[in-house]
Amino acid sequence: MKRYLRLYLYFLQFSFSKAMEFRVDFTFRILMDVIYFVVNILLFKVLFLHTDLIGGWTQEQMMVFVGSYLLVDSFNMTVFATNLWWFPSYINKGDLDYYLIRPVSPLFFLSLREFSANSLMNLLMSLAFFIYTLVSYSAPIGMGQLIGFILLLINGFLIYYCIQMLMVLPVFWTHSPRGFIDLFYSLGIAMERPDRIFKGWLRIFFTVVIPFSLIASYPAKYFIEGLDTAALIHVTLVSVTLWLVMLYVWKKALQSYSSASS
Amino acid sequence: MIKVQNLTKTFVSHIKEPGLKGSLKALVKREKKTKEALKSINLEIKQGEIIGLIGANGAGKTTLVKILSGIVHPTSGEATVLGFKPWERQNEYRKQMSLIMGQKAQVWWDLPALDSFLLLKEIYQIPDKIYKNNIEFLADTLMVKDQLRTQVRKLSLGERMKIELMAALLHRPQVIFMDEPTIGLDLSSQRAVREFMKNYQKEFKPITILTSHYMEDIKELCPRVVIIKEGEFVFDGALSQIQRLLGDEKCLSVTTKENTFKVNVPRTELSTKTAEIFKTNEVLDLNIHDPSIEDVIESIMKHGMNPK
Repeated sequence: MKRYLRLYLYFLQFSFSKAMEFRVDFTFRILMDVIYFVVNILLFKVLFLHTDLIGGWTQEQMMVFVGSYLLVDSFNMTVFATNLWWFPSYINKGDLDYYLIRPVSPLFFLSLREFSANSLMNLLMSLAFFIYTLVSYSAPIGMGQLIGFILLLINGFLIYYCIQMLMVLPVFWTHSPRGFIDLFYSLGIAMERPDRIFKGWLRIFFTVVIPFSLIASYPAKYFIEGLDTAALIHVTLVSVTLWLVMLYVWKKALQSYSSASS
Repeated sequence: MIKVQNLTKTFVSHIKEPGLKGSLKALVKREKKTKEALKSINLEIKQGEIIGLIGANGAGKTTLVKILSGIVHPTSGEATVLGFKPWERQNEYRKQMSLIMGQKAQVWWDLPALDSFLLLKEIYQIPDKIYKNNIEFLADTLMVKDQLRTQVRKLSLGERMKIELMAALLHRPQVIFMDEPTIGLDLSSQRAVREFMKNYQKEFKPITILTSHYMEDIKELCPRVVIIKEGEFVFDGALSQIQRLLGDEKCLSVTTKENTFKVNVPRTELSTKTAEIFKTNEVLDLNIHDPSIEDVIESIMKHGMNPK
């Protein structure tokens, strides 16, 4: 564990020295992120000009939710996204080889090697916004409520990673250039909507099959109105299953890895 | 020790006829094609031994190396390296093994070599003192002391290969797989890499499997040679046997106004034969070189040396 932490510190160090080299890219990325932020926040602000409640939430509560998914998303952008973006090309070109021969988990290496230092500003901004929504929250906040909220968000972050991996791993068999990562990003919108708007089979889809709703909406719901035991068990079961399925598919994928010849 | 028994690997691929029509057809119905990259191979390599694995492109060299280094799972058969099944990828095994591929870089492109080495130190948990000694020893013998602080992508191909060698040997592996380590290098770099490997093998005695396309590599480094053809071993024996068979032949590649051709000529007749060619043809270009790996294999097949 300690060793992996030290390895990660190296990844950080390398990524930063690399990012400093490309200054144009650096500033451009920040600009894009700011726009993405403003659009997301404004969208709900505009909606609230016409109504007092969306999916049962007031504007203030909605902002906690917006803060939550922006935070999870920017964490993902900074920590995982770059790595998973390159994942298919590693597999298709056979560059996975050198990861497989090291006495370190290749999954760790592949998922975390590139820390996107460019997105760090984005992460700080979303963190600031997230804290702001909590500080300006009018109802009193209990300690347990806050800790549970944060734990559920961390869990949401891991779910986000798992779903993403499951969209990328088919590349081992299909050898397509992107896997289903585009599908991931289009479905990903579901994460940015309160889960109450999904009904029927769509609800099952987004809370069980591809549980985008568990990433930010459930944690926010826990914070705002609390979750009953059934819902908490649901979150735990789905998260654990998803994680195990991901590891299983990864194992199968390695077995069929054919390593493009040199 | 490496022990391989009845190792087989089959790859499945789809056949697609050329053009859009072929693509559409392939979308509906796929014709599967299986290729046996390795056909029930047996091999034994002792501690400290270095063998040369040669064969044409696609003969199965790389596949064998990839199975033994744990990258690819075999279809059937058994293999143990140092007592481990490679494809189980146990850390104890991976810590003692190293793979060098001439075609694929393992050090990080955008970083100076020393940064990559630090990461490897952490990955292989090399103690400080041993790490320092190894860096010094390797950089000295490979003569790349001044290149360690330069971004790898700014180095020449030859320098990069030396850095790759350093990276692969930092943790003093017991087993080394080298897949075409000299490919694309100029002659002096090839020689430097060869010279280094020779001394390294003598001093540290790892098990080494070397695949190469250059006969020179094999001649210099490998007392034992295994020849693979279409997934099967057609020869496993001493280098001297091959050399005796080929005698001391040289290959002449000649381009004339009309055509190009190749002839194998004993070294002793080299000057007379060359003179003859010059006399009877209008020569545009003439090259004298060692017979290629393909020629060697062909020659062995023709002379019917008993395959093992």
